[in-house]
Amino acid sequence: MSFATSSAGHAKAFITARVLTGARRFPVRVYVAAFFMAFFLIAAIEPKLLQTHDPLMLSLTSPLKAPSLTHWLGTDQSGRDLYSRIVAGTGHSLSIGLGATALSLALALILGVTAGLSGGWIDNVLSRLFDALFALPTLFLALLFVSLLGTSVPTLVIAVGLGTSPGYARMVRVQVLSVKATSYVEAARALGHSPRRILFKHILPNAISPLATMFTLGVGQAIIWASGLSFLGLGVAPPSSEWGALLNAGRNYVIYAWWLEVMPGIAIAALALSVTVVGQYVQQRLEGRIELP
Amino acid sequence: MSKPAAVRSAFLLKSMNRRLKSHAAIIAIAMSGLTIADAVKAEDASAGKPQSGGIIRYGHFQEPPCLYGGWVQQWYLQRQFSDNLVARAEDGRILPWLATAWSVSDDRKTYIFQIKPDVKFTDGTPLDAQAVVDNINGWLSDNPELENPTAGPYLKGVFESAAAAGPLTLKITLKTPFEPLLNVFAQSSQGILSPTGLKRGKAVNCESPVGSGPFIVEKWNRGKNVIFRRNPNYNSAPATAKHQGPAYVEGIEWRFLADPTIRYGSLLSRESDVVYHIPAVNWQDANSRFKIVRHLTGGTPLRLALFSERPPFDDVRVRQAFAYASDRRAAVQAAFLGSLPYEGNFALSQSSPEYVGELSKSYSYDVEKANKLLDEAGWTVRDANGIRSKNGKALIIRITYTNAFSPPDGDQVLQIIQQQAKAAGFDVRLQPTNQADFWAGKNLGPNDYEIVPLYWVAPGAEIYRISYKPDLNGVRNPFNPSRYQDLPLWDIIQKAEQTADKEQRTAVYQQAERRIVENAPSLSYTVLDVTLALADNVKDIWLDSGSVGEPVFSDAYFTDKK
Repeated sequence: MSFATSSAGHAKAFITARVLTGARRFPVRVYVAAFFMAFFLIAAIEPKLLQTHDPLMLSLTSPLKAPSLTHWLGTDQSGRDLYSRIVAGTGHSLSIGLGATALSLALALILGVTAGLSGGWIDNVLSRLFDALFALPTLFLALLFVSLLGTSVPTLVIAVGLGTSPGYARMVRVQVLSVKATSYVEAARALGHSPRRILFKHILPNAISPLATMFTLGVGQAIIWASGLSFLGLGVAPPSSEWGALLNAGRNYVIYAWWLEVMPGIAIAALALSVTVVGQYVQQRLEGRIELP
Repeated sequence: MSKPAAVRSAFLLKSMNRRLKSHAAIIAIAMSGLTIADAVKAEDASAGKPQSGGIIRYGHFQEPPCLYGGWVQQWYLQRQFSDNLVARAEDGRILPWLATAWSVSDDRKTYIFQIKPDVKFTDGTPLDAQAVVDNINGWLSDNPELENPTAGPYLKGVFESAAAAGPLTLKITLKTPFEPLLNVFAQSSQGILSPTGLKRGKAVNCESPVGSGPFIVEKWNRGKNVIFRRNPNYNSAPATAKHQGPAYVEGIEWRFLADPTIRYGSLLSRESDVVYHIPAVNWQDANSRFKIVRHLTGGTPLRLALFSERPPFDDVRVRQAFAYASDRRAAVQAAFLGSLPYEGNFALSQSSPEYVGELSKSYSYDVEKANKLLDEAGWTVRDANGIRSKNGKALIIRITYTNAFSPPDGDQVLQIIQQQAKAAGFDVRLQPTNQADFWAGKNLGPNDYEIVPLYWVAPGAEIYRISYKPDLNGVRNPFNPSRYQDLPLWDIIQKAEQTADKEQRTAVYQQAERRIVENAPSLSYTVLDVTLALADNVKDIWLDSGSVGEPVFSDAYFTDKK
C-alpha cells in the first residue's frame, strides 16, 4: 500500500471511528434535532402514519378553527386540518431541500473540480463565472429559472439547486487547490501515478469530505429558499400543501387566524434547524472540535 | 348618489320629447352646467359645502401595462383623465356628457350628436366633432397604435362611418341598428383622447395619455403609483356628476398595493384615504369602521369558461355534470365570507338590467345528477381513485387561472371545486399562471386547458356580442374563451341588438340568457365588484354604476384641512 492510498483510507477510518464512538454521548440539542428529523422523514415517506385527517378533506362549515383536540393545529379557510396538511407537505419540502442541495453540490463538484484541477484560462473563466453568479442574489437566480421553466417540484429543485451552486463551486475549487498542494498528492505524483488515479484516490475523497457537512447545512437553507418561492406563488400548484404555499395561503388571515402562518412557519424552522444542528454537529466532530469520549 | 333637481327636470323634458316626437325619435336635452351647479349649490348648503384642497391617497390592486385600454383595470384609470360622449345612469338612462344632445333616425342607423362647446383637452387641443371622429376611427381601425379592444368587438360588425357634419356636430352611421351603441359609448374605455396626443404614438400615450377629464396624468412611477393632478380648467363633467367644474381635491396618488392585507392595513394606519377591494377576512371589520361604497359589476359574472371545442366539454352533458358536481354557493361563502354574493346565473351578472334571477338557482349541487350525466355521456370507467375515463382517456380538467381575473380570495373557490368535483369522477388540476405569462398566452393554447376563469364587464347583456359571437366566415372570435359555437344563440343576440323597444329587447336578451344557462358553456360563481373603503374625512367618492363602477374622485373632498 502506497503512502497516498493509505492517506485516503485513514481519512475514511477516522470519520467512521469518530462518528461511531460518539454515538452514545450526543448533546441534548442533537437528540431533539434527530427527533424532529425522524418525524419529518416519516412524514415524508409515509404521511398517512402521522395524519389525523385527510389533508384535502373540505369542511366548509368549520373554516378557520383555532387549534383544539380535534384539529391539533387548527383548520384553514376551507376547513381542512392544518396539522395533516403540514404533514402532507413535508414530502414536497424535504424532497425539494434534498434534491436542490444534491443538484447544487453535484454541479459545484463538477465545476469546482474542473476549475481547481485545470488551472490556467479554464480556471480563470470558471472563477469569473462563479464570481458573477455569486454576485447575483440566490432568490433572483431562482426566480429567473422558475420564470423560464414554469412551476413544479422539479423546477423548484432546479431553480434552488442552480441558484445556490455558485457558492459551493467556489468552495470546492478552493478545497481542490488546497488538497492538490498537499505532500501526499505531491508524493503520488512523484511515484508516477496517473492523473486519473490521483484525482479519484487522493484529491476527490479529501476534497469532498467537508461537503458532507455542507450538504446537511444546505438542505435547511434550500428548504427556506423553496418555501420563499412557494410563498411568492412560484411553487407547487394547489392543493399541494408545500409549506411555503401554506404560508402564502394564510397570510391574508394572519390577524384572525394566527395558526395559519405560525404553524407552517414553525415546521419550516424546525426542519431547517434540525438538519442544520445535525450538520453542524457532524462538522464539528469531523474537524475534531468536539472531544471524543 | 343624489341627483340634482335640474337633472331630474331635464329627464322629464326628455320623456315628454319622446312622447311628442315618437316618429323621429329626437332626443334633445337642454341643459347647462350653470343650472346643474346651481342645483348642487342648493344641496351643498344643507349638507355642508365641499372644501377644496388635499391629495387623495388611493390604494388600488392591479397595475395595468398601459394607463388606458381594454382591461377594466385600465378603465378605472381612464375615468380620471378622459370624458365620454355620453354617460349612463345606474337605471340605464343615457345622459349628456361631451354630447349635450343627440337624435336617432327612423331606421335607427344614423345618430347625430351635438358636441359641447368650449371644451379643451388638457394639452390645449379643442374638442370638436372631428376629434371624436378621429378617436372612433382609431378604435375601429386595425392599427395596433389606435385600435380599441372594447369598442372594436362591439362595433366593427355594425359600424359604417363617423363624420363631422359640422364643427360641433357628429354623425354616426351604422350598417344595421345597434341599440346598445350609447351604452358602449358610456364605458370609460371609450373615453375621448386628444387627437394631438394620440399622434405621439401608443408608447408615449400609455405613459401620459391626454384627455379632457378632471385630472391630468402627471407621472406614472411603474410598480408604485400614478400621480394625477387636478385639471384646473375642467368644464365637462357628465350629468351624473355631483358638481360641474374642476375637482375639489388637488390630485390623486393612485398607489398600486397588490397585497390585500397591506392595502387594507394602509387604510387602518391612515396611510391611505381610500382603498380598493377589502379582503374577505376583513369585510366585517371594514364595514364597522369605514364607509363602504360598492358596485357589483354588470356583464358576464366571474365565470369558468369551459372549452367546448373538444372533449370532454364538447358534450353538453359533461358541462352540465361539472356544474352539478360542485357546491359553488358554499364555496363562495367559504372563500369570500359574505363579502361577495353567489352568482349562479352563468350568463349575466345580477346588476345587469336583463338579469333573470331564477336562473341563479340552476345547477344546484347534486353529485347524483352529475354521475348520471357522466354515465350517459359514456364516462363510465373509474380508476382506483374514482377518476372516470372514456376510451382509455381520463376525465382530466385543467384550469388555467391568474389573479388578473380573480379576486384575491378567488383561488380558494377553485380549490374547493377541485376537491368536490372529484366525487363525480373529475380529476381537476389547477394551473396557476402569473399575470405576465397569462397575457403572453402561457397555458392557454388550444390543447393546454379545459377551463379558464374570466369576466368581461359591461352595463348589461350587450356583452353577449363579445363573449358568445361564434366564429363566422372563417374569422375566429378571440373573445369567446369557451369556443362555444351556437348559431341560433347568435341570431337571438342580433335580434335583441336590433330591437328598439327596451322591454322587447330585454325579453329577447333573456331568451339568450336562458339558452346560455341551459347549454352551460361556462359556470359562474360570483361577480366582479368594485368596493372602496373610505376614511371618515373623505366624502363624495362615488362609483360610476351606470358604466362598470369606475371610481370617481372629481366630486370628492376632505372634511378636514389636509
